[in-house]
Amino acid sequence: MTENIVVTSGKGGVGKTTTSASIAVGLAKRGKKVAVIDFDVGLRNLDLIMGCERRVVYDFVNVIHNECALKQALIKDKRFENLYVLAASQTRDKDALTQDGVQRVLEELAAEEFDFVICDSPAGIEKGAFLAMYFADRAIVVVNPEVSSVRDSDRILGLLSSKTKRAEAGNGKVQEHLLLTRYNPARVATGDMMSIGDVEEILGIKVVGVIPESEGVLAASNSGVPVILDDTSNAGQAYEDAVARILGDEREMRFTEAPKKGFFQRVFGG
Amino acid sequence: MRATIAAVEPILELKFGQVGIANLRLNVNDAEALREEIAQKVAAAPQLFGRAPVILDLSRLPQLPSAAEAQTFLDAIREAGMLPVGLSYSTTENEALAKELGLPLLAKFRAVYERQNDEGAADIAPPPAPSRPKVVPKAAEEAPVRAPTPAAIAASSLRHGKAVRSGQQVYARGRDLIVNATVGNGAEVIADGSIHIYGRLSGRALAGAQGDAAARIYCMDFQAELVSIAGRYRVFEDLPPELRGKPVQAWLDGEKLLIEALVP
Repeated sequence: MTENIVVTSGKGGVGKTTTSASIAVGLAKRGKKVAVIDFDVGLRNLDLIMGCERRVVYDFVNVIHNECALKQALIKDKRFENLYVLAASQTRDKDALTQDGVQRVLEELAAEEFDFVICDSPAGIEKGAFLAMYFADRAIVVVNPEVSSVRDSDRILGLLSSKTKRAEAGNGKVQEHLLLTRYNPARVATGDMMSIGDVEEILGIKVVGVIPESEGVLAASNSGVPVILDDTSNAGQAYEDAVARILGDEREMRFTEAPKKGFFQRVFGG
Repeated sequence: MRATIAAVEPILELKFGQVGIANLRLNVNDAEALREEIAQKVAAAPQLFGRAPVILDLSRLPQLPSAAEAQTFLDAIREAGMLPVGLSYSTTENEALAKELGLPLLAKFRAVYERQNDEGAADIAPPPAPSRPKVVPKAAEEAPVRAPTPAAIAASSLRHGKAVRSGQQVYARGRDLIVNATVGNGAEVIADGSIHIYGRLSGRALAGAQGDAAARIYCMDFQAELVSIAGRYRVFEDLPPELRGKPVQAWLDGEKLLIEALVP
């Protein structure tokens, strides 16, 4: 049984692609057969984050237009042999995607016995985002602890419960997970940033993971290595936890408290 | 005496000039209907159409007519008041037909048309022709290295002076492409002929997109993601150090796509 997971947010720049890459790698690390698809046609980035940008010959749009076989377009990850990337086309726009085409690709992946297909949604609520979420069984809604991101996520949660195949067919709703990224406990403590509780209260669902703001994320993106593979970074470990929770494990939230200042720091400042 | 006059004054003079001439494109294989239609046109505007020379274009017909059929069209046109002077479009069968009818074939006529149409489409626009490597090998198999038509040679190359940025495509249909700027990552330059890039090539270059195996790719600073000639392509996950940043040329040697630094 293949599960389609959409990673979406509404707002841009909150960490959808970073999340898609890390979740895909995290699942693959646990032995799952995973494909991760970039739906951001025209502004593709997933291939960069996954570090396979120089191996893209055919892309998602080629497959949809029957210009190549799915097998030719799936790029095998160098680190995990059960992980594949389907890049977006840079020279086309979102109209190159069709609902029938997306459905056919997802069905082919299901026939190939993939355990998970991660659909990396573009920002916005237009065609690309709509098609990324339409066939989803689960959704990871990426949200930053700030008001505009929270509002956009609220909008997306509304669409997930009405504009998806599951919602239309009435056979169970899309399972929703909230993933809080760029969380800075110190700024939450000073009241600058919304807390986990604030976000959960507004959106009415529990977070499946909290990814702390981390320098590791930028470095990982620039080097084409998903941050989850960086054991030394808090963000990487937090993604590791999130993947475990998505698979049903119970784990304590980490990195959600501001580091306590020691006695000397309190006395002398720091 | 006669010889001396001839030496001074030649028997004939050949002068070339350009004339406008109508292209009569036939959509239906029906000489009778053709005669009526033309007779009406001539009657409506005798100044314009009476004894007007026309080129007969048979390319729209479902299949090329036999010489006898074509002759009935020519007769019908003549009877209706226009003067057919040649056939347009140059395929091999068409050429044989024109010979049989004793008429000239005006291939140039088409070339002019194509170039006009091209001007608009030549800018950044997705080519209607298959741009992907995959589709091209098939075309190459079916029509191995289509000999360049006179039209293709007559067409000048397409010059692109602006940087080709990520996501943009430049396509030179039926001719060479010259880019006097950078081709960025995620950008695509495509030509049915050769590609010359006087700048950095970081994106993709696809020459001989309709199967011309003699097409080549030249660039000043090689950093390409992909190069392809007539459907044979190479992807560069790691750039070979002897090519990176160098001026290079790429060409096809049989099935093999070769790339070499240009040594001055």
